[in-house]
Amino acid sequence: MPRKPPVHPNRIELLQGTLDLLILQTLQWGPRHGYGISQAIRTGSSEILRADTGSLYPALHRLERAKWIAAEWKTSENQQRVKVYRLTAAGKKQLLAERSRWEQLVQAMGGILGHEQA
Amino acid sequence: MSKRDRRLREEIESHLRMAIRDRMERGESAAEAEANSRREFGNQGLVEEVTRDMWSWTWLEQLWSDVRYGLRGMRRNPGFTAVAILALALGIGANSAIFTAVNGILLRPLGYHDPERLVVLLNHGTGPVAPANFADWKAQSRSFDNMGAAELFGPDLTGSDRPEKLSGLRVTADVLPLLGVPPAMGRFFTPEEDQPGRQFEVILSYGLWQRQFGGDENVLGRHIQLDNKTYTVIGVMPAGFQFAPFWATHTELWTPLALGPRVAKRGGNSLRVFARLRSDVTLERAREEFAAITARMERQYPGTNRDQRVVPLKEKVVGQIRPALLTLLCAVGFVLLIACANVAHMLLARSSARAHEVSVRAALGAGRARLIRQFLAESLTLAMLGGALGLLLAYWGVRAMVRFAPSGIPRLETLSLDWRVAGLTLAVSFLTGILFGLAPALQASGQSSAESLKEGGRSNTGGARQRVRGLLVISEFALSLILLIGAGLMLRSFLALQAIDPGFQQDHLLTMILSVGGTQNAAPERAQQFYQSALEHVRAVPGVLSAGMTNHLPVAGDLWGLPFWVDGRPLPHPGEEPDGAFRLALPGYLETMKIPVVRGRSIEARDTATAPGVVVINEYMAQRYWPGEDALGKRITLDNPSSSRVPTWLTVVGIVKNAVRYDWAAPPAEEFFLPYLQHTDAMGHYITLVARTKGDPASLAPAIESGIWQIDRNVTISEVQTMSAVVEGANAEARFNMALLAVFATVATLLSAVGIFGVMSYAATRRRREIGIRLALGARPTEILQLITGEGMLLALCGTAAGIAGALALTRLMAKLLYGVSPVDPLTFIAVPLLLTTVALAACLVPAFRAARTSPVTALRQE
Repeated sequence: MPRKPPVHPNRIELLQGTLDLLILQTLQWGPRHGYGISQAIRTGSSEILRADTGSLYPALHRLERAKWIAAEWKTSENQQRVKVYRLTAAGKKQLLAERSRWEQLVQAMGGILGHEQA
Repeated sequence: MSKRDRRLREEIESHLRMAIRDRMERGESAAEAEANSRREFGNQGLVEEVTRDMWSWTWLEQLWSDVRYGLRGMRRNPGFTAVAILALALGIGANSAIFTAVNGILLRPLGYHDPERLVVLLNHGTGPVAPANFADWKAQSRSFDNMGAAELFGPDLTGSDRPEKLSGLRVTADVLPLLGVPPAMGRFFTPEEDQPGRQFEVILSYGLWQRQFGGDENVLGRHIQLDNKTYTVIGVMPAGFQFAPFWATHTELWTPLALGPRVAKRGGNSLRVFARLRSDVTLERAREEFAAITARMERQYPGTNRDQRVVPLKEKVVGQIRPALLTLLCAVGFVLLIACANVAHMLLARSSARAHEVSVRAALGAGRARLIRQFLAESLTLAMLGGALGLLLAYWGVRAMVRFAPSGIPRLETLSLDWRVAGLTLAVSFLTGILFGLAPALQASGQSSAESLKEGGRSNTGGARQRVRGLLVISEFALSLILLIGAGLMLRSFLALQAIDPGFQQDHLLTMILSVGGTQNAAPERAQQFYQSALEHVRAVPGVLSAGMTNHLPVAGDLWGLPFWVDGRPLPHPGEEPDGAFRLALPGYLETMKIPVVRGRSIEARDTATAPGVVVINEYMAQRYWPGEDALGKRITLDNPSSSRVPTWLTVVGIVKNAVRYDWAAPPAEEFFLPYLQHTDAMGHYITLVARTKGDPASLAPAIESGIWQIDRNVTISEVQTMSAVVEGANAEARFNMALLAVFATVATLLSAVGIFGVMSYAATRRRREIGIRLALGARPTEILQLITGEGMLLALCGTAAGIAGALALTRLMAKLLYGVSPVDPLTFIAVPLLLTTVALAACLVPAFRAARTSPVTALRQE
């Protein structure tokens, strides 16, 4: 069994299926390695969202297999080999599709929640 | 570690390094940064594992890890595993064994070149052919590449240390070449050698070559003595070669047929005709042509060409055994299905116990496909282990079958497990694994993980799951019932066969064949003296009550028929003469067999060659030809009165009870007994001795044999057996089929009983809480008993109904295997379901009693 991660009071569990969207979105601004993507999600969400490595790496490899992202090995500035992912053309299409699905979901959720509040 | 694994580790380690560097830049110490980064990262091994799951190409590796996982699970549940593997092994093993038989007997080619084009030409539907017919067919047909004929030949081999009566065939020069198997040594006969006077050449089987000639490489050109004539060995056939594949299956030598002037004979049907279809002619086309030829010949020679047929050789060889094998194949298929259903039960029960584990795995990110694969890997592992054990069982099963099977089954001795069977076993095991693994896998993976986790592994009450299990029980029951009904019908049929009164008394009878072919007594006039003095010697052996001799025993041997004409009746149309089985008998034969004389007298010593011709007929013949009259004193003749010479009339002096002639179960037909001394020329150079003994007949064999050898050491004695063994041989196939079906049906019933027991136990356990509440609210234990039993019996009754419907549809297919019982025999169709329902009741009662004894307190506290 994995060790329990330390408790972060402000953390929100990622909704199932949203990690793919976040990865694709992050890579839209240029190639990144795994650590870079996790940091981008973390800082981009003001430390609220965290991509668990146990989800992030399977997701990266799955997206790579789906050919939405491509990977290559590069040497970093301090002479270390890192695996860098970038968005493919198919990935860009997928990103658009997932974005619009997400927006529909937000709208739908907002409709219901807003209605309740009124 | 594969390259891809190394890459993944490198990727993850670079992640950690970057995290550590970031933390150090933010001012943490190296040790702190490393510890925190690792903690934040989580379990590195697990991350690697779940990531690896995303690589499609590793499915084999995953399969292996799934298999290992399954094996670990099996080790934890040895009881479950053993039962499941055993059930599967029984099902798979039975299938492999029976398929071996089907493969070896029905599917495998005959061992000749292009066997599909070989045919047999038959007379009167199934019978042998007259030489002139064969000659006409051969001359007139265009559909065949080649056509040849063969005739039985049973010579005595003498001049060696071990005189021996051999089984041989006389064949025309065309027969062996048309099979397309070249001799291992030497050559075939030439057409010139297939002439009277030149026919003294012989081709040996591999077995005879090994046995009598020690596999001598220089056997070609050697001279051997067959029936006191010198033959030259010109060839040896390869090992495993068999000809003929039916009728004369134990043939060990071939000599030329040399028909000579016999070729003009339209009587004396003794030939079997073999032919090879031309490659551009279909069987239908050949049949049309053949029908035209025989129709023409029937006009020319009326009565000699009725019901002529072209039958594929393979059909002739395996046609008899096919229904039995297909029935057995069906039966083992059912057994396997039942075994699958049973293992599926067990897996379902286990999968509910494992619901919690499955939920945890699902929560950790295992997808549904992954879970299904996990379950299938486990069931496939089970199935493969079952298949391996099953192959072992099949190996033993085939050996047992070869040993205990009746001798009439063609090519049985060649049966063995081969790669085809192994391949089929593998395929069957695989399909089995999928079949019984899929339902539990789908159910287990389909359940909502949140729900199971919430329940915290408490027994789960899936209605769908219970429905599937109910259906499994119903189908198991239906299949078992069909099998049991089939076995019941075979049993009834077998009992009916056993109950047949053969018309003679089979116990305490010893029989053997004496052959004088290789002695100085081979000539008919000397042979009869020898037979008579041999009979005297045998009667003098202590323990022998009586003895007699005949040309052929009933049941065993051949059925020799002759047309006859009744005195004072209009001449029948040629070819429509009545026909009867005839036996030449020495005085004492009918008495020794205890075939009772109903009226008149038996064949006696006074019926010599010079005495008036007499005949003893059976009751059937008396009633058929002299209905309402006294047949005694009436006359028949065996000479065609329409031919010019004066017929020899035979007076009926006795009427005996009908006895079995050849087919054990055939209805009675004409049979008559002739004094041997009045027909010595009709006897071959061998005779069958029967002796009625006081004690065990087999124990007297050595004394009788040595008594005969005292008269002539060169006499060969063969087929020494008791009459009971002969009769047993005649019913061996029915007994064998019945025994196999009974074994399969028993296994099926046991498996079904285990199945219903398992399901009811599970249902009772699942409802402990409910039962506890009922009991607490005042339900009596008998009501609980009824509740649980009722539920089980409902399933059993549904299964019974389905089974009866299935059996009604299927037993019709085994009608050919049955004797004296209808395929929808009411007794069987009532008794067997009752029996099976009783078994079901017993299987339900145990869990029901257990449930009824539940203490409400413990039941409620437990949940």
